[in-house]
Amino acid sequence: MNFKSYRKKSPWILHYNAGSCNGCDIEILACLAPKYDIERFGMINTGNPKQSDILLVTGPVTKRSRERLVEIYAQMPEPKVVISCGACASTGGVFRGMYNCEGGIDQYIPVDVYVCGCGCRPEQIIDGVVQALGILDKKTKELEESVKLKKQPLKEEGQLNRREIAAEIKTA
Amino acid sequence: MDLYIQIALIVLAPFIGGLVYGIERVVKARMQRRIGPPILQPFYDFFKLADKRKMIVHSTHAFLGIMHFFSLWFALAVLLLGGDFILVIFLHLLSTALLILAGYSTRSIFSHLGANRTAVSVLAYEPILILVAVSVYMLTGSFDVSSIFSYDEPLLVKMPLAFLALLLILPIKLKKSPFDVAEAHQEITGGVELEYSGIFYEAIYTAKWIDEIFCYTLVYLFGANNPLIGLGLVLFAFVFVNALDNSSARVSYKQMLRFSLTIALPIAFINLLLAIFQQVL
Repeated sequence: MNFKSYRKKSPWILHYNAGSCNGCDIEILACLAPKYDIERFGMINTGNPKQSDILLVTGPVTKRSRERLVEIYAQMPEPKVVISCGACASTGGVFRGMYNCEGGIDQYIPVDVYVCGCGCRPEQIIDGVVQALGILDKKTKELEESVKLKKQPLKEEGQLNRREIAAEIKTA
Repeated sequence: MDLYIQIALIVLAPFIGGLVYGIERVVKARMQRRIGPPILQPFYDFFKLADKRKMIVHSTHAFLGIMHFFSLWFALAVLLLGGDFILVIFLHLLSTALLILAGYSTRSIFSHLGANRTAVSVLAYEPILILVAVSVYMLTGSFDVSSIFSYDEPLLVKMPLAFLALLLILPIKLKKSPFDVAEAHQEITGGVELEYSGIFYEAIYTAKWIDEIFCYTLVYLFGANNPLIGLGLVLFAFVFVNALDNSSARVSYKQMLRFSLTIALPIAFINLLLAIFQQVL
């Protein structure tokens, strides 16, 4: 029996905030509220990676959150799609080049759909999710890995080592 | 003829439960002025989950989840075939105990919390169910569920307080707000069901549908010899539970236990005393 056609009918969403300013998160939660009501497409915000199909990520990936992002991605069973919501998640946005984050989530995990905007509007998110459903239809159950192991984060150059500073103050 | 209906109900229980769950989601959406998912949505979820890649924590965990489903179905079968009421309650307890064991068998903190809270909610509703069963015994002289059907008056008229007590613990059993601490999706993201995924989560998901059928069958027993009263009570309980779910916030497990043991339990106990007095006089 072919269950492939049911993927489109019940996509369960996992929402992860990788250091966002909460602007995009509020818009994602607005999609679930009565005005936009994405539950009419059968979508549920599960909050559990082991039972979800779509990963919605907001925010530039801060260095604190990147391990968790990769961990959550690895815990989701295939077939799965990733949507980066907002300018920060897609490219780094206004935080690009700052010391505490890297530009966008696609440096760590493969992204299928990019949703632009700061913060992205609920209509755009729904449009992005509908595009992601088309991609979900073509995916197989083969293992998908994060790109983290292939691409190491850049070495921090020209940055002060806090421990050395603390040691200097202590001796002086 | 009657046996055929009973067997058909038992075999079709997951299907009917899925329909009830789908209707429930639409009713809840309409109460919030949303359109809501299609009525067959639980079955779409079911088929989608069958298509996911299989991931398990360890084999015992997956096995306990599947056994939870089958033991619950067995408890429902005994109830629908008119077996012993006490046996039905303990079979239901067995299925919940398997779920609690499954929760403790992983190393996940949320799973442990969910198992703890499930155990507390069992403590909240189990004494009341047993008191209701004993009251039925006092009234009809038999623990068999089939004796309720052959009794000449509906139970609702004879012991309305027992129905009130059952209505108060129904949200605890169905894991609905304000007593949904065991599941608490925003707090511990599902509790025991957290570590299940794909085709193994289906067992837990389908067990929820069977649990609904189980609870509404208990409600139906109060109007058993008149199907019209029985179905009316089921409809009332369905709307009551969902309206309460939509209009109330979650309480902590201590408040739930206090409510159950100081309000619902005395009501059930007074009902038992009244049933004894009716028998003596």
